[in-house]
Amino acid sequence: MMAARPPRRRYYTRSKLCRFCADASLQIDYKDSDTLRSFITERGKIIPRRITGNCAKHQRHLTNAIKRARNIALLPFTVPRR
Amino acid sequence: MRRYESVIILEPDMSEEDVRKFTDRYSQLIRTNNGEVIKIEDLGSRRLAYTVKRKDRGRYILLDYVGGPAVLKELERRLKISEDVMKFLSVKTADVVDLEAFKAQPEARPAEEPVKEAAAETPSESEAVDEEALKEEAQAESAGIREAQVPEEAVSSPAGVSDSGENSEASAAENRDKEGE
Repeated sequence: MMAARPPRRRYYTRSKLCRFCADASLQIDYKDSDTLRSFITERGKIIPRRITGNCAKHQRHLTNAIKRARNIALLPFTVPRR
Repeated sequence: MRRYESVIILEPDMSEEDVRKFTDRYSQLIRTNNGEVIKIEDLGSRRLAYTVKRKDRGRYILLDYVGGPAVLKELERRLKISEDVMKFLSVKTADVVDLEAFKAQPEARPAEEPVKEAAAETPSESEAVDEEALKEEAQAESAGIREAQVPEEAVSSPAGVSDSGENSEASAAENRDKEGE
């Protein structure tokens, strides 16, 4: 079974727990671009919560925060390919 | 009364004096419209994620104030006219605010705040990280969460032999692949 899977896929470990629920001190703030940056891809797209493990509520707040941050040029709308 | 917060991006090559004049002018404007400034914070000059008016840097100013909708309207109207302002964003942070509660606090607050904030920023951030780490440790004992969380937080993960550092990038890359199809 294990040998049949491509080795690349096996090491995908990811959080199944919402980071913002786990840590109440971690606030979602549109001005905090460093935290938000970990929830967007290199191309600037918002990472779906099935990947990040965020709960619906926090993903919603996060999405709003990212969109605001884009508006004031803290985060990119897109990152041009190469 | 509502509480608003405006992030304003100023031209990067403005002198300190001009910036001060600018913030003074706008706090004056808020007060004359029966509002009250809670704090003005200079977030410093930062790289922009994309060019605005052909500039890739900008001076970020945060304006936190209380006032009616009229204050916001007038403020935004002025911001649009001003040549120094590259971009701005206003957000309502509270719907009902007791203005007296803020006025009761010492008047020196707005003047003092920016210095304090700048100094306090770095320690508080590292504290937050520490707390996070502690909590994670506590939780990891009960479940195998630690293994799942570490790769996202820091790249030094014990998980894989060959592609331990690739986790976050790999998932992003995978997304991109899907997009391309």
